[in-house]
Amino acid sequence: MEKNTFDAIVVGTGVSGGWAAKELTEKGVKTLVLDRGPMVQHLDYPTAMKAPWELPYGDEPTQEDLARWPKHTRPSFYGITQSTKHWFADDIDNPYEETKPFDWFRGYHVGGRSLMWGRQSYRFSEMDFEANGKEGVGVDWPIRYNDLAPWYDHVEHFIGVSGNNDHLAQLPDGDFLPPMDLNCVEKEFQGRLDSKFNRKLIIGRTANLSAPLKHDQSPQRGTCQYRNLCMRGCPFGGYFSSNSSTLPSAERTGNMTRVTNAIVYELIYDNAKGKATGVRVLDAETGKHTEYYAKVIFMCASTFGTAHILMNSTSTRFPNGFGNDSGELGHNIMDHLFGTGARAMVDGHEDRYYSGRRPTGFYIPRYRNIGSDKQAYLRGFGFQGGAGRQDWTRLVQEDALGEDLKRAAQEPGPWYVSMMGFGEMLPSHKNFVTLDRNHKDKYGLPVLNFDAAHQENEIMMGKAIIADAMEMLSGAGYRNVNSFTMKANVGAGIHEMGTARMGRDPKTSVLNGWNQMHACKNVYVTDGSAMASSACQNPSLTYMALTARAANHAVEELKRGNL
Amino acid sequence: MNRREWLKSMSALAIGAIAGPSLFAVFDAHAESQKPDAKPQFFDPAQYSLVGAVSQIIIPRTDTPGAVEAGVPLFVDQLFKAVYAKPDQARYLTAMAAFDKAGGKPFMQLDDAQRKALVTRLHAEALAVPKGGKPAPAADFVLMSKKLTMLGFFLSQPGCTQVLQYDPVPAAWKADIPLAQAGNGRAWAVEAELKI
Repeated sequence: MEKNTFDAIVVGTGVSGGWAAKELTEKGVKTLVLDRGPMVQHLDYPTAMKAPWELPYGDEPTQEDLARWPKHTRPSFYGITQSTKHWFADDIDNPYEETKPFDWFRGYHVGGRSLMWGRQSYRFSEMDFEANGKEGVGVDWPIRYNDLAPWYDHVEHFIGVSGNNDHLAQLPDGDFLPPMDLNCVEKEFQGRLDSKFNRKLIIGRTANLSAPLKHDQSPQRGTCQYRNLCMRGCPFGGYFSSNSSTLPSAERTGNMTRVTNAIVYELIYDNAKGKATGVRVLDAETGKHTEYYAKVIFMCASTFGTAHILMNSTSTRFPNGFGNDSGELGHNIMDHLFGTGARAMVDGHEDRYYSGRRPTGFYIPRYRNIGSDKQAYLRGFGFQGGAGRQDWTRLVQEDALGEDLKRAAQEPGPWYVSMMGFGEMLPSHKNFVTLDRNHKDKYGLPVLNFDAAHQENEIMMGKAIIADAMEMLSGAGYRNVNSFTMKANVGAGIHEMGTARMGRDPKTSVLNGWNQMHACKNVYVTDGSAMASSACQNPSLTYMALTARAANHAVEELKRGNL
Repeated sequence: MNRREWLKSMSALAIGAIAGPSLFAVFDAHAESQKPDAKPQFFDPAQYSLVGAVSQIIIPRTDTPGAVEAGVPLFVDQLFKAVYAKPDQARYLTAMAAFDKAGGKPFMQLDDAQRKALVTRLHAEALAVPKGGKPAPAADFVLMSKKLTMLGFFLSQPGCTQVLQYDPVPAAWKADIPLAQAGNGRAWAVEAELKI
């Protein structure tokens, strides 16, 4: 028991867990860091340096892959390739139920999805934190932008975010490394959107190092080499992952103990103390059960990983799941509307090209329901996209054959521009996940059952995303404007949130304004489950800022003897 | 359209069955396919020769290697063995049989000029089919083979480095430069593709 006792336990090592580990250990807290999967050390990226011809099957998934990943190979997901499939939890060993279809894409290893994330890094704005309260949707956030702003600064400074300060109320500026440039067609589109629609197009803000970090705490991180193979893991340390960034910092403090293959399945609650005392862990390889104890526990196991553990932790005090006095645990699932947009062909610019592979695109920040704009639906959406020159695949449907084909392929193709919407999804008690105690996985744990769907506001917004994309591309004077719609269920955005939301009132929310459980103050939840609304910005940066803020609070509370 | 969608558009890639590979395995199969002693596992020797001959008409040797030198036939063999489901396998083999009859005598018994003329004619026939229509099997075979040959060739080392240009570590992003200053001015083997 002595040997299993720490000051703090962090469950999970993705963007949130990595940040909790770093902040706690750097403040002198002896911290146990648990991950349900195997170790992935920085540089342990088996396909990172493979050339196209070194990957089998043209990098396509095989029939065996489709059988192993029937959910991860759904049309809305692109991760099961020969170069990246080893990062994704296989669907046979990790099943889930779908009362309504749900796309759940997971990485079970140290670093979690921070290894494969899209790296787009945007702050939530004041209007995002105010919206629920003003509109009477869900619950009011218990914090405002100013509560989080210094933590956004802290996180951006440490991880390195390339971007431009665009001075937009809906997308606050930050502590950025130099922005990457737009290409000629993107600049043209930017100008036309501005003049014809008064809408902004900016360079995507991405957690890639466009210049050296402004600190010396991460010697293992080098600048971006513009290979755009981030998802394989970057041996240059060019983008932020827990593996390349926060975990090495935590390790250097000497205060971190890491246990891998450690599936946390339950929090231990002590009725007498009125506190959580530790976690119960199942070893994924040996099946051995172990208990670990600590004064404070950080739940960073991902939105549904955390929800699973909390729902599975029942006691006389918490018969409906740990901290679930409100009945909101597992509810209010949000994601971003995903998979629809438009593309077009662009004439001219044949004498212009680019070199290098930029690991970001352009971003059109939200413009709906801002200022004088009023729509039938609430909130808004942004677009992520890019322009480029078509590659050799265009020649399949053209006459060229033989020597002509070879010659034609050497010419860069015509320019195109393409963009996809990311729309805000409102919190709703009707969108929830439960434990299915009749279906157990190979560890004997009940699996999750999803019951979530887009509702009226999302359906209206989905139509607007396509209509607006078509209108902007047509209005910019481009030709062959076509919309696209990918088959995508809730979850496809991989921006899942909301299952243990923050709020002011313990009767309607699970966490307080410090990400502490209302009902059990020594448990902090700082992954996506904490979110009270989704905004339309990619949320990972916000999870990191919330985590750093919560860790700082926990350390102060430990010092004050409050935990 | 990304490459995966494009490959799929050849036909519906149906979902198959069986066990999975081990986690964290490191693969080298395209390299594998270029070993001199590698043998086809899907095609029989006659089919394999035909696939090779057609691929070399689609992308011939010039001052740079052609499809066969780039390992395309084995690449195509492996795609059918591992990636395509049974209906796609059947579609290709049926189309191949029709193609083999389309030239009056078996394709491999035609001379070079006759082979090239046949492939060219059927290619034009396939492209003339209106959108949404379905080419006759012999023409379908040529168009499918064109796609597969292009995929195998433009992902091969000669295709990437001698015909297109490939930079494994660009080190810099130059967003807007004259075409002539973008490396050697040819198309990049890997176009920037935004994955979100």
